Amino acid sequence: MASKRPLRTLYTTASSTLRTAQVPRRSFPETAACAFSTSKAVRGPEYDTEAADRPRWQQTPARMVAPFRTRPLPEGPQFKVNEDPRKLDDVYVRMLGENGDKVLTGEVKWLAITHKSFDHGRRGFNDRLAFLGRRIVSLQTSLALLNALPLPTRPLEGSDRVPFKHPALSGLPNLSSEAKDNVLDKHRLASVAQRYGLDRVIRWKPRRADNLQGSGIDAVLSTSLYAIVGAIALERGGEAANKVTRDKILVPLGFTWLSDAS
Amino acid sequence: MKRIRISRCGSQLLAQPAHRRPTCPSAAAALQSNFTPHNYRIQSRPQSTAAAFSGSDLLNAQSEAESSGGARNRKPPPARAARTASTSPPQSIADLTKHRSPRPERAFGSAKLAALRSRLSLPQRFPLQSLARTLVHPSADADPDFNNSSLSILGANLLSYYTTEHLLCNYPRLPMPVVFAAQEAYIGPKALATIAGEWGIEAAAVPGEEVDPGLLQFDRLRSGDDVPAGLRHHEAPWKWNITVTHKILANDEFGSSTSNKNPQSLRGQAVPLEEAAQSFVRALIGSLHLHLGRPLVKRFFRDHFLSRHLDVDKLFDFRTPTRDLSRLCAREGFEPPVARLISETGRLSRHPVFIVGVYSGKDKLGEGAGSSLDEARFRAAAAALKGWYLYKPLEFTVPSSTEGEMDTSEWIPNLVDCGEVIV
Repeated sequence: MASKRPLRTLYTTASSTLRTAQVPRRSFPETAACAFSTSKAVRGPEYDTEAADRPRWQQTPARMVAPFRTRPLPEGPQFKVNEDPRKLDDVYVRMLGENGDKVLTGEVKWLAITHKSFDHGRRGFNDRLAFLGRRIVSLQTSLALLNALPLPTRPLEGSDRVPFKHPALSGLPNLSSEAKDNVLDKHRLASVAQRYGLDRVIRWKPRRADNLQGSGIDAVLSTSLYAIVGAIALERGGEAANKVTRDKILVPLGFTWLSDAS
Repeated sequence: MKRIRISRCGSQLLAQPAHRRPTCPSAAAALQSNFTPHNYRIQSRPQSTAAAFSGSDLLNAQSEAESSGGARNRKPPPARAARTASTSPPQSIADLTKHRSPRPERAFGSAKLAALRSRLSLPQRFPLQSLARTLVHPSADADPDFNNSSLSILGANLLSYYTTEHLLCNYPRLPMPVVFAAQEAYIGPKALATIAGEWGIEAAAVPGEEVDPGLLQFDRLRSGDDVPAGLRHHEAPWKWNITVTHKILANDEFGSSTSNKNPQSLRGQAVPLEEAAQSFVRALIGSLHLHLGRPLVKRFFRDHFLSRHLDVDKLFDFRTPTRDLSRLCAREGFEPPVARLISETGRLSRHPVFIVGVYSGKDKLGEGAGSSLDEARFRAAAAALKGWYLYKPLEFTVPSSTEGEMDTSEWIPNLVDCGEVIV
């Protein structure tokens, strides 16, 4: 009816102005490439729509999978990788404390513990996150060493030189690359990661499933640990990442903070 | 606060049990760096001590100098020599103490230092003695309390953190090899050497106590001599597959294994100017952080490093862009890319020009011009891949902006990309 139309349009315009007046919420950006192409995303015809809507971490992209396997299976037993989101959430809660599973968004949670060897890198991998995380952990280790109690000074006998003393420079003798290498050794980091149960949820492909040590699980665990720190830095900020580094990585490695020092 | 304990092991291998010093490899370097033997005594007998003893016999020399009379049995300790010798060759006492830096008090008398401080617009509360210390490379003074080795470790960490977050927040999809190259372009050895030159740093001809504290002091490598072992390329065993992921974990921020992780190991060795300038810039950043705090370091970094222009798109080097693009479209669920000729001229002439576009469905992903059909197709695919990898968000906040801030309402979460396409 003619009388209804103007009311309907009035209603729609009113609600649209209300919508635009809202403050835009800062939402986490999508990791998918929605805006890159205006063409419809094409999925293989053999996959149903439920599979097409599954998140990236859950399935290999349809067009990247061959219909049947042509290469022989690798020798040794098959390696089973965790697919259960609950186990992953448990590990994050163990590592990051209560609500640890809500620190990172869904895709990034899986991306941080996915090594490049998993599924040929088709579902993403944590290289970039590990790169940033390693920089953060390295810097925090240097700062922690600077704030540590100074080593006993050996007086230079017979030397008449006195170095410049300043309270800001008091921790410098502790900072040496040997000390840092000892702290950030990949085997020590791997043991810290194993304490949180990361070795049961990381997604990777070992060379031999019955010899994980020889396949380099220590390196993969260290990479994942760095990647979690990097992911927290990108999603939650540097302050949160520094806190996680200090409390969850450096404290198990032997540092103790007597007071809050950055 | 717990301190890092250097484990004391191997003391049973010492020839003189009266002087118990740790000799296990991890402590040996720390020991040698903190140990300045009786300078005046050693210098009075240069021929006997310097020529006769190597670095691993430091303890022998000292005990011999100290012990008054009494013949002691000095058993030559080959095992100890093997354990204390790390990657660098054993250095004599003469090597380690032949150079010294000017006394800290002389910093006030140096016009160059005061000029440098004001040229960099640093506040007056930044001490000149610290600025003088940043100019002393370990090759000019082996004592870690007088050289810039610790400061340069801290400074290198700060620089690489700020550069990494700048790159990853500006270009979230950048492939790792390009990230390495961009890091090297911003804060690599050559870049830092250029920056030091721009700041007007001059090098002393030979380091010593009498040089002006405002000069960069290092033991200069003579042309034609070998680069020290710490700066040489470390050959990995041939069986190792050095992947990018391995480089992220094991190598430095540029993905290279050639750069020196331990500045203190270069004491007593001649180094190129680039290495000394790099150590100065890093040490300056480290001392700024310690004396002046984080906000000023960030402003300094923005003014001196981020202000340098870098064409990130020139850092790409594609080998098979068509294959990469087709795998990328398959991964993201776009229609398979198809190359179409847009226009051409002079096909049968000597210099044809073909313009090819790569299309995914109705969208043109990239366009390229070339003198052959294949070249144009490759350039188009490369342009399409660059369009993907060089995505740049309009608004972003870097992680370090939240450090020390009470108010986190300005924080915008960054895009976390799943990684470059693996073929």
